[in-house]
Amino acid sequence: MGKFGKEFIKGLIITNPVFVLVLGLCPLLAISTSIDNALGMSLAVLIVLLGSNAIIAAIRRFIPNIVRIPIFIVVIATMVTIVNLTFHANFPDLYESLGIYLPLVVVNCIVLARAEAFASKNPIVHSIADALGMSVGFMLALLMISFLRQVPGTGSLSVFGFHFFTLPVLGKNPIAIFILPYGAFLVIALLMALFRRTGVMKL
Amino acid sequence: MNELITIFLGLVLINNFLLVRFLGLCSFIGVSTKLSNAVSMGVAVTFVMALASVVTWIIRHFILIPFNIEYMNIIVYILVIASLVQIVELFIKRTNITLYFAFGIYLPLVTVNCAVLGVTLINATENYSFLGSVAAALGGGLGYTLIMAMMSGIREKLELANTPETMKGTPIAFILAMLLGLAFVGFVGMI
Amino acid sequence: MLAKTTLKNAFPIIILTVIVAICVTALTFTESITRDKIKAQEEQKIQHMLSAIFPDMSRYDFTNDIYTIYSDGAKVGYAFLAVGKGYGGDISILVGLKDETTVKGITIVSHSETPGLGSRIAESSFTDRFIGLNVEDVALRQEGGQIDAITGSTISSRAVIDAVRTTAMEKVKQLTESEGRE
Repeated sequence: MGKFGKEFIKGLIITNPVFVLVLGLCPLLAISTSIDNALGMSLAVLIVLLGSNAIIAAIRRFIPNIVRIPIFIVVIATMVTIVNLTFHANFPDLYESLGIYLPLVVVNCIVLARAEAFASKNPIVHSIADALGMSVGFMLALLMISFLRQVPGTGSLSVFGFHFFTLPVLGKNPIAIFILPYGAFLVIALLMALFRRTGVMKL
Repeated sequence: MNELITIFLGLVLINNFLLVRFLGLCSFIGVSTKLSNAVSMGVAVTFVMALASVVTWIIRHFILIPFNIEYMNIIVYILVIASLVQIVELFIKRTNITLYFAFGIYLPLVTVNCAVLGVTLINATENYSFLGSVAAALGGGLGYTLIMAMMSGIREKLELANTPETMKGTPIAFILAMLLGLAFVGFVGMI
Repeated sequence: MLAKTTLKNAFPIIILTVIVAICVTALTFTESITRDKIKAQEEQKIQHMLSAIFPDMSRYDFTNDIYTIYSDGAKVGYAFLAVGKGYGGDISILVGLKDETTVKGITIVSHSETPGLGSRIAESSFTDRFIGLNVEDVALRQEGGQIDAITGSTISSRAVIDAVRTTAMEKVKQLTESEGRE
């Protein structure tokens, strides 16, 4: 459990893909308008990352160096297409809200970077741990940002139709900036600054 | 013609790839610290976007749709983009070695730029005509380059300013992006 | 000797081709098992939207971009998609007609209007204003029609109203012409 756990924690906090490595931004800011989308996207990234890390770790001894990037791309693209088709068939509403950002997971810096930096050099089990850690780290970051955008931006919190609460003043007059595109930049900037200030994450 | 201009301007000013659609962000934060780098990246991206739009449009209309294999688009598009970037890189290396060194690692980075794959996907979902796809690519690319240039120009000056310690570097860049995005909202409704 | 070096050079390409072949097979397999479900989803979506406007619909036909709605054999109306140029982009509207002159109702299918302002075109408080109107009366009240715009979102409101009226008149013309030919 030791090495597995270590890789997991590493992906989660020390080298959190979003706040520390600043990877995977494109879908992050676009999807974070609601927690439903955030959870859906996290699930997609988890499946793709698990699949690609596992497969690439499994075949890593057979990959000639010169074609390794195309091979990574093909494997990742296949996983993404599978997830795309599966979501379209089984979660149509989620598929529609994620839009083009679901296929864009294929160029999500996190996935390719982990394949290149880790899965191609480490055994399957460790690669799976890494995938899990990174995905959960990504999910936490995404959830944090989505929460901070959805609650002030719509004045209430509902996840998958399950309504949690509506804020007293903001319910009627939500602060629009949080839910608008440029508000995403504000939230992530403040979060990063907060993490640095409290020393949770290194500069 | 009207429709082309609408698509083009719409992507530069209103649905800006960086500020509104969040495509191309990874390179945004890393590359936009120097004006010359930012513009080089922007030009490279626009060029590959235009080429990719043309090639993927042809593939989509003559192979993917007739043979009913549109679901293969993700894998085909990204391979096309990766190949195009390789070809462009080789071409530049052979013809203009200084330009090649000027681009440095930015050219391979274009492969994973969400904006390039993004524009090919947008062309597909919006079902743009051939010229429409090219207009979209040029619009998206120009919008990207414009914001990159603006950001890097401001960030160059920002280096000399007295930023609070926690905000230095990436956080303040995001705040800048927010302000730019806010400014660009003024263009909404123009078309 | 030449054969051996050629094989060595070709090895990466061979591996790449093998992997691509495996991936393509996996994809084709996935697509075949999801294809039917995806089709069913699309049809269900259309059905859902049409039933919202025509609650007693039993089946529908789709020819020449117009849905003809039937309820137990009797024709109860028509429906079609209209696209308006909104403030933030295209607005997609499903328009239902009771007959060639009256609107049964509308639903906003998709839009990119400002949240909290223009996005209120999707609320029933706005779409209900179209119900029962004569196609010619679909216009802003200050322009001779019967519909009040949403306060603070005149552009979004007008985009929907104009799109509904123009497309409705177009489709009605199309219907009466094809009926005249029958």
